[in-house]
Amino acid sequence: MAELEIRGVTVKHGGITAVKDASIYAERGEIIGLIGADGAGKSSLMHAAAGVIRFEGEIVFGGTSFDSPREAERLKPKIGLMPQGIGLVLYKNLTVSEHLSFFSKIRSLKEDAALNDYKQRLLKMAGLERFTERPAGKLSGGMMQKLSLICTLIHRPSLLILDEPTTGVDPLSRLELWKILEEISESEGTVTLMSTAYMQEAEKMDRVYLFDSGTIIASGTAEELNETVKEYVYEPVACRSDRCIAAGHYTYSLDPLEAPHKEPTLEALFFINALKRGVEIPEIEVSERESEEPIPQVVMEAKGLTKRFGDFVADDHIDMELKSGEILGLLGANGAGKTTFIKMLLGLYPIDDGELVLLGRPIRSAKDRQGLKARIGYVSQHFSLYKDMTVRENLLYFASMHGIDAKKASSRIDRYAKELGFASYMDSLPTELPLGINQRFSVAAALLHEPVVLFLDEPTSGVDAIARSQFWQMLKLLKRKWGIAILITTHYMSEAEYCDRVVLLKEGRKVADDSVENLYKKHPAAKSFEEIFLHYYEDGR
Amino acid sequence: MSPGVIRAYILKEFRELLRSRLILIVYILPTMIIILFGYGIRMEVTDARTLIIDNDNSTISRDLSARFEHSRYFDTRVTSGMGEQEALKRIKQAKVDILVIIPDSFEKRLLHGEKTEIGVFIDGAFPVRAATMQNYVKGVVYDAARSLTDKKPTNLITVNNRNLFNQAMRDEDAIVPGLIGLILLVAPAILSALLIVKEKEEGTIFNFYSSPIKKSEFIVAKLVPPLILHTVNIFILFLWATWLFEVPFRGSFLLYWAASQIYIVISLGVGLLVSIITRTQIVAIVLTIIITIIPGFLYSGMLMPISSMSGESKIEAHIYPVMYFNHIIYDTFLIGQGLDSPKNRLYLAILFFYAVFLILLGSRLMKKETA
Repeated sequence: MAELEIRGVTVKHGGITAVKDASIYAERGEIIGLIGADGAGKSSLMHAAAGVIRFEGEIVFGGTSFDSPREAERLKPKIGLMPQGIGLVLYKNLTVSEHLSFFSKIRSLKEDAALNDYKQRLLKMAGLERFTERPAGKLSGGMMQKLSLICTLIHRPSLLILDEPTTGVDPLSRLELWKILEEISESEGTVTLMSTAYMQEAEKMDRVYLFDSGTIIASGTAEELNETVKEYVYEPVACRSDRCIAAGHYTYSLDPLEAPHKEPTLEALFFINALKRGVEIPEIEVSERESEEPIPQVVMEAKGLTKRFGDFVADDHIDMELKSGEILGLLGANGAGKTTFIKMLLGLYPIDDGELVLLGRPIRSAKDRQGLKARIGYVSQHFSLYKDMTVRENLLYFASMHGIDAKKASSRIDRYAKELGFASYMDSLPTELPLGINQRFSVAAALLHEPVVLFLDEPTSGVDAIARSQFWQMLKLLKRKWGIAILITTHYMSEAEYCDRVVLLKEGRKVADDSVENLYKKHPAAKSFEEIFLHYYEDGR
Repeated sequence: MSPGVIRAYILKEFRELLRSRLILIVYILPTMIIILFGYGIRMEVTDARTLIIDNDNSTISRDLSARFEHSRYFDTRVTSGMGEQEALKRIKQAKVDILVIIPDSFEKRLLHGEKTEIGVFIDGAFPVRAATMQNYVKGVVYDAARSLTDKKPTNLITVNNRNLFNQAMRDEDAIVPGLIGLILLVAPAILSALLIVKEKEEGTIFNFYSSPIKKSEFIVAKLVPPLILHTVNIFILFLWATWLFEVPFRGSFLLYWAASQIYIVISLGVGLLVSIITRTQIVAIVLTIIITIIPGFLYSGMLMPISSMSGESKIEAHIYPVMYFNHIIYDTFLIGQGLDSPKNRLYLAILFFYAVFLILLGSRLMKKETA
């Protein structure tokens, strides 16, 4: 019998079934991946396995079986759960070392030299040994996740349950999280259940389970799973039927195409599954803008832009240029200064040093920004929508904020809803929407006044592959049809390849600024953009 | 229960309370309430702005005006020859509370033994205040009338009135002890609800759900910090009452302390129950305030004595624990019967029962799992 067996587990929230009849097994030392769109039931199943939610069915771990949270109490000393959300289980005011001591005490661990050594080892693995006195609230997202992970590991759990520990985390921190994980599962024989939105990670796992609307629809190693969809994956070509989707560097089709096959990645599973189930994936469209607006050649020009927070320099003399009709990707680890930079451009933070020219106008005071706001669109990391208003009400509100008259606004909103594929959600609340829809509707809100430049701060974190591909489709169309300039930050290195040019920030400094092609030329050994990113980050460490 | 786990949790709570500066609220809020309400609620009327139009200007009328002028209850201005319309306008403009019109030939008629009338107008916008002012005016006028006819037999009986427990009829004595009850019901409940709901809202509650910490350990760890912090408030509030508001304290301090301590536990129990049904801090605060302040105020005996309630309100008053505590607290401050009174003993026992019941109910209803 396997170390962990989840047998026919069903989880219900209120009256809604989140997971239905799910079965998973894992052997000692295995890392098991759970993948699937947002809301597919991964978290619910992980909560059931951690014994923190009621469920039907049975879970057996190490020969002990349980069927309710109460029964699971006996196993809790052996279980470690890291729920979804950056720094979710951390207390913002407590320091790193206070966290470790709190977690070891609530686990009633014996305070001895061995525990101390183990703590030091964990701190070192997480690269946090220099930050033991820093409050958790002042750590970057990547550091928070590493701290959460080592706090979860402090009692040496033999069943480790990690819910999207790497979402919203930069590639370098992700790599470090993985290193910790692999080391622990090897040395301690830990069984790990882990959900992830990064398919490259899923490919490294011992077995992967694919979730779709609450059921597990496929499982196996990455190779086995890729094998099942291989015949449907082609080099990018145009589609002619609705049994076919063209998405970025791939085309997926159920019917044979006149095109060479391409080696699939796990992302293909999502598309093929959607095609097989006949799920309608709305074609994204963008029509010409209604207003004629001359767009200057250079939309934004920053020279030596600097932001300091006390002694800490968040952005250190950054030069950047954004041209019209260009998608510029702003990359960097958590805490490298990306969000700060965008906030300076928007006037949300005062600029400490340097020059900024926006849409041809030098910005020296808040006064210079007057009138510019009508030409800028912005979507923040946490989509700033009103949770108690429906999608339509939100959009009407944003339109009236921009002084667009009601009739025009209403027709524009309907057009966006249709073109961007959220028409059927117009009367739902934002909290009821899948993340991917939320994200497109947030962009729609930022487009209502037809801006000439769009700033997007990590719009795709946690969004599934299909929605991400639609999102990029939308950005490309906006660029082509509107000639708009787009500045976007992301942690998905595969997305960087869709940008015309990328700027890489590291600890507040610019370390690269070039087109994707040129960067590949400079680093001929790199197999993926992620490797190029890591190359810049590992230098000088 | 493992003392190590509880100690670690409590230490964490104190660190967070200090670093998030929430501790300031723990001590500022109660003091703020007692000062705001202590000074803010005034049943007594002093310095009512009084305008006397003396159309007679005789010895007797001047004597009457002087009686108003010498009373601390009135802030008097005397004039003559002002028209009634003009004077009423002053009341409308809220420049005058009481208008007294002494007619001409007032003295002459009195000396001839004829009836005469004094016109009195009172701003009745606040009925309780108006009734008080009316009684004051009547008192002054009758007193004056009596001294005019000193030797008549009707004046042989005078009333020698003495109000027990609050001889001076001070508002502070009547209100401040009740405020202590209100504060000790509201503040600990808010804090305990916050400490639990904060973890739910931020997600750190998963540390409890997913670890072997027992429910009892968690509840103890969450309720002990507010218990300790608010115990200090028992003494701070006592000081404000006796020193700032000069309320007498005639009973046993030990009883005051013991009853207050039990009352804080009741309040913590309310907070615990609120934290079970709420998910966000703001909802928890609003709900706690609603379910503690309203009964805490209505059934405190501050506005209306419980003994004068009837029907449903009397039943409700007996359901909420507020009444029992206030009975004891007013006893300790103003009366001093203490545990000699069987009613106080009974009420203390009832409070104890409440505390145990609420905490047990909360522990029973709390679930160690997500919804």
